[in-house]
Amino acid sequence: MSAKNEVGSGRIGLLEALRQEEKTWNVLAPRYGVTNPNPPWKTSLSAICDCLAASGALPALDRRRAEDELAESVYRDVPAPERQLLALVHVLLSRSLLDESDLAARMRAVRSRLESA
Amino acid sequence: MSHTHKPGNDGAEERHAAAMVEEITDFEVLEIAVRELAIEHGLFTADDHRRFTEWTESVGPAAGSRLVAKAWIDQAFKARVMQDAVKACKEIGIDWSEPTGFGTPSDYMNLRVLEDTPTLHHVIVCTLCSCYPRPLLGMSPEWYRTTNYRRRLVRWPRQVLAEFGLILPPEVEVRIEDSNQKCRFMVLPVRPEGTENWTEKQLAEIVTRDCMIGVALPRRGRTADVHPVHKARRPVQGSAHSGEAAHERKE
Amino acid sequence: MARSKPPKNALKTPATARFRVGDRVRVKNLPNLFYTRTQMYVRGVVGTVAACTYQDVIPEDEAFNRDGRIEQYYIVRFRQKDLWPEYQFDNDTVQTESPERWLEPVDN
Repeated sequence: MSAKNEVGSGRIGLLEALRQEEKTWNVLAPRYGVTNPNPPWKTSLSAICDCLAASGALPALDRRRAEDELAESVYRDVPAPERQLLALVHVLLSRSLLDESDLAARMRAVRSRLESA
Repeated sequence: MSHTHKPGNDGAEERHAAAMVEEITDFEVLEIAVRELAIEHGLFTADDHRRFTEWTESVGPAAGSRLVAKAWIDQAFKARVMQDAVKACKEIGIDWSEPTGFGTPSDYMNLRVLEDTPTLHHVIVCTLCSCYPRPLLGMSPEWYRTTNYRRRLVRWPRQVLAEFGLILPPEVEVRIEDSNQKCRFMVLPVRPEGTENWTEKQLAEIVTRDCMIGVALPRRGRTADVHPVHKARRPVQGSAHSGEAAHERKE
Repeated sequence: MARSKPPKNALKTPATARFRVGDRVRVKNLPNLFYTRTQMYVRGVVGTVAACTYQDVIPEDEAFNRDGRIEQYYIVRFRQKDLWPEYQFDNDTVQTESPERWLEPVDN
């Protein structure tokens, strides 16, 4: 673990596919007349970050340094909190804590589950 | 998108009113997928995640507003706050040991309240990451987390404050508190004039989140923080301004 | 104790605090081998101890789960004019927190 976090500026295909401008909360919420300033998953995301720090899997300072790097480069044009979500996933993938194809498969399964509910 | 934060509302109303958009975004799907895989890989437990989620939803700036209002009215309470802030928080129903028994991995259990005077104005920041006194103020606002705020506040504090509409006389000491270790900080602003007979509830209403960070001053009639933050402009040097914050800019 | 969780084999003996409120100290410029919470902008700068906060494991040890060296932590106050060239306001200050090993005494 060097002082400069080596997250790099490489892009991750799965995450690049998610960067549709029209689906971020700042665009969607007004479209549906939703007044909540945050998407419903934001508190869960925050809890993921706390849990990763508490378990030692991803300390807060490491995560934030990577997030800062990514927020100024790869995800510069993504609004918060989507930017934070993408940056977190990017770090988890680049550290091999999660696998990209596993994640893609799980996303398909989750979507299918939610859409049939 | 701008929105307001009012003291006394920990987001409960916002959460339950019109919370859902009628489509399932890839972001929502991604968050669930990441969480499930992380739990399956043993990065953390479902139990811990639920506990932290509930805790995150329980915190908000109303607690900080209550603490400030009570400290303004009750000098003995204020003395207890300055002596041992974590212990004094229990008197207003906030327990810094939650949700694990020893706090969170970001907030810990070392609160220090920074008391402003007419010649000393505090502002809090975390240049390294964005540590924030969440048990008292809730989740940090997005602008607080940006490198734009974190890097510039220590270097150009008065310019950054001016962007928030806060101009202070040169003789006032602007003291930036960088929370780079385990202490967490909150500002206890100067009680504004004209509030002498106010109730705690009335006082709490003018103590907004921004006042407890230090980028705004509490003022009669000011019950909300207005955002977003404006981009940096050429700083104005040597201009004559009163000690009060400039009126809020409209977006 | 300022901990996020109890350490496994923490040294039981409390550390002796070397500095007191009011002491002048300089932030050392130790090499950043790995994890550090001592910012670059205070390295080599002289400040004044404003408070003694708590005793805890230093971040560099804690990050690697080394059960280790407990030290006194301090809040140190710096004049902005000592941190930045041409800072224009005489009274402005910055405070940051530091474990003892990052500080050395300054003789006035």
